[in-house]
Amino acid sequence: MQRRWLSAAAILASFSLVVACTPAPAPAGGGGTDKGEIIIASNFPTSGADRASGRGPEAGVAYAVQLNSSIKGFKITHKPYDDSVNGVHDPQKGAQNFNDIVGNAKILGVVGPFNSNVARATIPVANRASLVMISPSNTNECLTQTFSYCDPQPAALRPTGKNNYFRIAAPDTVQGPAMADFSVDVLKATKVAVWSDNETFGKGVADNFGKEIVKKGGTVVVRQDFDWKTTNDFRPFLQRAKDAGAQAIYAGATSATHGCIPRAQMKSIFTTDIPYMGPDGIGTSDCITDAGDNANANLYFTNAAAEAAQDPANKALIDDFKSKFTAKEDLAAYTFPGYDCAKILLDAISRAIDTAGGKMPTREQVVQAVQDTNKLKLSTGTYSFDKNGDPTSATMAFYQYQTAAKDWVFVKQFSVGG
Amino acid sequence: MGTIGEAVRRRRSGLRAGVAGRILDFALIAIIAVFLILLGTKVVDHGGSFFLQILTFAVANGGIYALIALGYTMVYGIIELINFAHGDVFAFGAFLSASLLPVFGLREGGEFGPGSAVALLAVFALTMLACGFLNISIERIAYRPLRHAPRLAPLITAVGVSFFLEGALFLWKGPSNVHYPNVIPNAGFELFGATIGAKDLLVITVSIVLMIGLALFVGRTRLGKAMRATAQDRDAALLMGIDIDRTIAATFFIGAILAGAGGTMYGLYYNTSVFDLGFSAGLVAFTAAVFGGIGNIYGAAIGGMIIGIIRTFWDGYFDSAWTDVIIFTILILVLIFRPTGILGMRVPEK
Repeated sequence: MQRRWLSAAAILASFSLVVACTPAPAPAGGGGTDKGEIIIASNFPTSGADRASGRGPEAGVAYAVQLNSSIKGFKITHKPYDDSVNGVHDPQKGAQNFNDIVGNAKILGVVGPFNSNVARATIPVANRASLVMISPSNTNECLTQTFSYCDPQPAALRPTGKNNYFRIAAPDTVQGPAMADFSVDVLKATKVAVWSDNETFGKGVADNFGKEIVKKGGTVVVRQDFDWKTTNDFRPFLQRAKDAGAQAIYAGATSATHGCIPRAQMKSIFTTDIPYMGPDGIGTSDCITDAGDNANANLYFTNAAAEAAQDPANKALIDDFKSKFTAKEDLAAYTFPGYDCAKILLDAISRAIDTAGGKMPTREQVVQAVQDTNKLKLSTGTYSFDKNGDPTSATMAFYQYQTAAKDWVFVKQFSVGG
Repeated sequence: MGTIGEAVRRRRSGLRAGVAGRILDFALIAIIAVFLILLGTKVVDHGGSFFLQILTFAVANGGIYALIALGYTMVYGIIELINFAHGDVFAFGAFLSASLLPVFGLREGGEFGPGSAVALLAVFALTMLACGFLNISIERIAYRPLRHAPRLAPLITAVGVSFFLEGALFLWKGPSNVHYPNVIPNAGFELFGATIGAKDLLVITVSIVLMIGLALFVGRTRLGKAMRATAQDRDAALLMGIDIDRTIAATFFIGAILAGAGGTMYGLYYNTSVFDLGFSAGLVAFTAAVFGGIGNIYGAAIGGMIIGIIRTFWDGYFDSAWTDVIIFTILILVLIFRPTGILGMRVPEK
């Protein structure tokens, strides 16, 4: 009995070996894909509550690969990874994904992760394997820049000493203060109540927002951090804000960490409505639902990347994307930043193939090629990188909820750095 | 057969006798004193109307937790099972009532007239009944067959039922936060500078009425008496001709209708719910039940109230990031000195 099983297994194994060794038939025409396969991985939180954030960029990467299915004789494929556990992004899961990614020799680069705390756990894993990663949305400043308060410091995340991490989003040091400037200069709100979800990202933007408000001569009238997993009750905080004369409220949170639930609760506390602002994390359709009947023109968020739709040149691209990716979460704030990251990677791989003399490039060659990206014009901006991996010029966009459109609408955008 | 009470008395006298016990006593009093002084200065700082406002929120909050805690404590009292699925029955109540509101013509931003009040009452009634029947089915399917099994078996089944319900709620309304329609008017009346909103009033009134109703039911009716008898000694109750199965089912039913009311009010009050709400809210409510003395319905009501008050006052006057730490610190302190909770456990240990 046992021997029969063994022989069956052996036959099966040899059969699969034969299949594996048979060269895949090259598709007719085009660039040809006979030189082998290059995989671009993506790592985003794409299940549960975080799907609203993570699916957009994942779809962006999938779309970019769909449009560029072969480069210089190599077949390009996309391998998506999901870093959420129980619906929420998870650094350990991210690191586990990256261990799998670095073990796959065909993967020459990763687009992602979405969240800064996942980046912190995954950069060292990729760094040891000299694997390039490009994030469309990581904004924590400590991932790339050295500040006294950073723990860990960027150098500690890069054990080989050589940078492998790039991003196209503006760091939090920009996103928080940009909204603070907007609050003081445009909304004329100088007394602001600030809360955060007590996570790396949320607390980071909230702190930077507060610093800039003070710098501009305003005051932070109440400052609170919430354990979002156990509370939905924001009334005491809102009451305190009201009593302190707050002219606006800033939420350092994402829609998954209850970023817009206080907005709905404001309705029964504030008799006169005041603006409610937050970072890119609240720029989702979930936020609008959570805000309920208090979703109105007093709801704002910043996006650390440009709005692709603002450039008329992108119209055909966006229309084509919409026809191929039709789910609600597919087109979100970070879809085209995700697409652009994949394009940067594809462009770098193409140059790295040349460096390698037309053969499969090494991962080190791809890292170098991304670093050498020179004013690459894409849907959300023109990208080059400094030695830290930050974009040399990033765009900050402001969005406001519009009742008539029942959606976020673009207010304005400007370039920072450069 | 030693009772918990005896054990406690022994333990407490042992504690009190030692020098360490006295130091602990002193430390507890000192901690409470420091906290009260700290709170006092904060209260003076923020003024009386803010205090009254926070107190209103706190009582409303506490009322909701108390309603959930009652379900835990009643079931524990009668069959000594921690019904982990109870929090999820509460979440089911929030989900169901959110779906029922529009059916009864209650929409966000709509007018709230006398007709709406009747509709709201209907939503409450239907949700409470549905939760009751859900809990009875859970008891029938998952707990009754295991009644004579070792105690760990039904406990694990309860965890399983909890996951099952969470999964069902996940499939029903998806992973994101579910917005609960804001149908209660935002208006309220002024009282010494604080605004007592219609929502606060509704939640406080309904929870107090339900709790008084429960106390009367358990204390005055035949079925209530049967419940108390079953909790005290199941075999003796059986010998006296009490239908044990029916009594236990009734306990599950009543616990769940309170949870259904709690779920509806949670939604109306916070305007949000989520598929795993039962876990986080259930944990707080279970803590409240232990705090007050699990098995004792007055204890659960008091425990829920106290936890609601601590939580809201800490959020209002101090740093919210520490709220849970504070609640559990107080819980530990209370349990060190009163291992059976504030009111102790009324059921004898078997």
